[in-house]
Amino acid sequence: MVDRVADIWGARTPHGVDEPWPVRVDQYLAEGVPEHEVRWVPSACVLCSNGCGMDIAVHSGRIVGVRGRAGDRVNHGRLGPKGLFGWQANNAPDRLTEPLVRQGGTLQPATWDEAMGLVVERSRQVLTERGPLAMGFYNSGQLFLEDYYTLSVVVRAGIGTPHLDGNTRLCTATADFALKESFGTDGDPGSLRDFDLCDTLFVVGHNIAETQTVLWARILDRLRGPDRPRLVVVDPRRTAVAREADVHLPIRNGTNLALLNGIQHELIAHDRVDREFVAAHTVGYERLARTVADYPPERVAKICGVPADDIRAAAEILGAADRLVSTCLQGVYQSHQATASACQINNINLLRGMIGEPGRTVFQMNGQPTAQNTRETGADGDLTALRNWQNPDHVAELARIWNVHPLQIPTWAPPTHVMQIFRHAEEGSVRFLWIVGTNPAVSLPDLRRIRSILAQERLFVVVSDAFLTETALLADVVLPAAMWGEKTGTFTNHDRTVHLSEKAVDPPGQARADMDIFLDYARRMELTDKDGAPLPKWRTPEECFEEFKRVTVGRPCDYSGLSYEKLRGSGGIQWPCDENTPDGTERLYADHRFNTDTDYCEDYGHDLLTGAAYERQDHAALHPEGRAILKAAHYLPAHEPPSEEYPFLYTTGRTVYHWHTRTKTRRAPQLDAAAPDMWVELAPADAERLGVREGDVVRVESARGRIEARARVTGVREGVVFAPFHYGYWDTPDGVSGDGWHRAANELTITDWDPVSKQPLVKVAAVRVEKIADAGGVPSPAPTTAASRPVGEDLPPTEGGAGVRETVEGASAPVEAVRETVEEGS
Amino acid sequence: MRVGRAVSDAQEAELDLARQLRRVGERHAAEPDLYHLGHTLARRCGEHVERLAPFARRYGVRAREGRTESPHLLEALRRRSGELVGHSELAGLLLLRDLRDLSLTAHEAEIAWVILAQVAQAVRDPELLQVATECQEDARTRGKWLRTRIKQAAPQVLVAG
Repeated sequence: MVDRVADIWGARTPHGVDEPWPVRVDQYLAEGVPEHEVRWVPSACVLCSNGCGMDIAVHSGRIVGVRGRAGDRVNHGRLGPKGLFGWQANNAPDRLTEPLVRQGGTLQPATWDEAMGLVVERSRQVLTERGPLAMGFYNSGQLFLEDYYTLSVVVRAGIGTPHLDGNTRLCTATADFALKESFGTDGDPGSLRDFDLCDTLFVVGHNIAETQTVLWARILDRLRGPDRPRLVVVDPRRTAVAREADVHLPIRNGTNLALLNGIQHELIAHDRVDREFVAAHTVGYERLARTVADYPPERVAKICGVPADDIRAAAEILGAADRLVSTCLQGVYQSHQATASACQINNINLLRGMIGEPGRTVFQMNGQPTAQNTRETGADGDLTALRNWQNPDHVAELARIWNVHPLQIPTWAPPTHVMQIFRHAEEGSVRFLWIVGTNPAVSLPDLRRIRSILAQERLFVVVSDAFLTETALLADVVLPAAMWGEKTGTFTNHDRTVHLSEKAVDPPGQARADMDIFLDYARRMELTDKDGAPLPKWRTPEECFEEFKRVTVGRPCDYSGLSYEKLRGSGGIQWPCDENTPDGTERLYADHRFNTDTDYCEDYGHDLLTGAAYERQDHAALHPEGRAILKAAHYLPAHEPPSEEYPFLYTTGRTVYHWHTRTKTRRAPQLDAAAPDMWVELAPADAERLGVREGDVVRVESARGRIEARARVTGVREGVVFAPFHYGYWDTPDGVSGDGWHRAANELTITDWDPVSKQPLVKVAAVRVEKIADAGGVPSPAPTTAASRPVGEDLPPTEGGAGVRETVEGASAPVEAVRETVEEGS
Repeated sequence: MRVGRAVSDAQEAELDLARQLRRVGERHAAEPDLYHLGHTLARRCGEHVERLAPFARRYGVRAREGRTESPHLLEALRRRSGELVGHSELAGLLLLRDLRDLSLTAHEAEIAWVILAQVAQAVRDPELLQVATECQEDARTRGKWLRTRIKQAAPQVLVAG
């Protein structure tokens, strides 16, 4: 048995490029559960975008554990710490089990009829008085495809408002937009197997070791194997990924675009461009070359704060690659000039002609497990099945399938992003806001502002969730929702792998599946199509899936060859899957023909600086016609640079043990104990200057608020302060109201977003730091593993995840023999 | 020949637009995209003006400075009041009016570049032509941005506001 809190990635199973990734089955069962009495229900993990195939262990009607599915293409049996322990949240005693309604200032239990009656009454009132533009809906990246698609039809075709977005806006909106800008439509082109096959990895602002632990285990198995891929890492923190790098570029946050332009400058200057590929399969090279010509390494070194020679070394590795996999995540998406930067990463693979082939791809990575489905179903700022809201034929087709008038679907402007929905609520034109399975009172930037918006008397707030979150406490009606494992549905990970997750147990009390809640709302609202038939017309998840298949036919995310039957017990199937590709499609663009035909593309593109939406004639004038688009942009300084008053650069991020605002992981004892409370990270030189040592309490302040937490001195870049964004207020000793709002990282972040993807910017702000109390012998609650590892301090190591069984298939030696300690690679 | 006139007109139009972009950004500070992009684009206008400096000298008119920063205090004041007004239901109408005015000023600047590009061709000045063409492209993008923003704001203000 293994402690998988201490040993995050589990035992190594190294292999070479010519060998398959070995199977290792990870299993964790609650203590005392008789294994032979357990019923295993196939599912997949919903605690990150990898979406590992997983069986849920059920005993006496309760979830009692999990194990990885050996035959699954995503994880070959492995699970990460969040997956192994996170399921315990389902059994938490404080689950919401009945609807709540605000009465006399407090939330009181109510029946479903009372609660839904109120929601419907208020909806009708707002619709009558102000129309659909006064209605807003904000959902999640953690529901199932069927939940999202139902919501999408209810809101877009039924209610008819453009104000529908997902919290995927905070997580992968930029991935979505960068893919659309470069390749014409959403959908990551590559396969996870490309990590097994590459010879070079380019990792930008992506702490894989903590955000996708099983993927990192997969990469470690290559890094420890006979033909180790070379690794270039861009990250202001010294993450576990950075520690493995051949070249680590700890750039100043907010300067990604300058660096990436600089790398392209070097690729072009040293003729590392696949000219033939670029000529045949891309447009925009001249403009790109002209733009990046302004970024020689010396200039970039000054902007980014890293040595010019390291930039050259990085470019040399990328230029010498034969099989290059590039990947990025929040360090790009949540930072300054997000979409512009993400597009440059696409460009690098395009310049090298490395896409659509084994070991050659770019991953615009997802963060949440089902973010891909929010995008595909149109429950965020996209139109269903990767359709183009500016293309009247696409809208007409959707209207025909939904049997509504095309004008009913609001497409006069881009679907509204969440920051804009909140802005409309702030100025009073949105009066009804339904928040589904997400916690903006902790996860959106500038929290004082968000709380003041949600608390307004004139705004009616509905929250459906499994727990009484900080956001739910501000609601007028709270609806108890079923969680993963308590409903059936499908979801899709970042390499387009679709899994079916079966219902294993009943939801607690009166909790209901989100899809059922939306259907109930639609029936009570008497939503109908143009012939008076109920809208949506399905009742079960499987019926919904069948309807979704219909709407995807001929689009890039074609699901028409899939079915519940086919997915049941499968190892995951990648879309597109139609009658010609019944086993799915491992890689997109294998023929180097991209989805950029003007009539087919999902978006006509944007100006990367202003976000100005291009129109049909602009796109057509480019003549992309199946060629990828090389987008170029100049670096601009961030909007809030450090100043005399606020001299530090502030960035927020994640730890391996927690998920979002900890509504689930706080309720899993092993994960909670591993990272129980808020901390902030300082670089050694800054800590010394401020007189701060491990565990001292510091106050971090921006123009918008302040937080107080114990400091950890780590390998973060000098001048940068890092804070994890997971910690809110519901579990503080004084309760939510407490003595002020000084815990959540987003108290300090700025209200600002990327002009193209509209993703909020939570990785660049200016702050000041001061010490306010001595440690008193208490260390910082930060984990000692991964990126928050202390520098120069000997602290008790983070542990407490015992009882996990790892079984390596065909291993001749016991697993322990190949186990490494957490010190690996240091 | 009145080539200098066309150069001055473009300088003036960009400076006008820069001032207005800042003013609108600050007045609507509660619309963060307007505030930040307004200032970014205003700086960009300044760069356009600076690019014309050698041509102003060449054609005998005054070269204007590109900097148009508001006095610090005034900016802070406008920003603060913008944040306060931002909570009122009238904010939307004011926003739409300002965006409309802004797009007229932006259009004027765009036309100034069109004129300058025509003149540059007629006097066979390839350097001026290049600057005018590039700035005209920027001006077109600016116009698209404003159109995108107006398309989004108008229904909200006039139907739900």
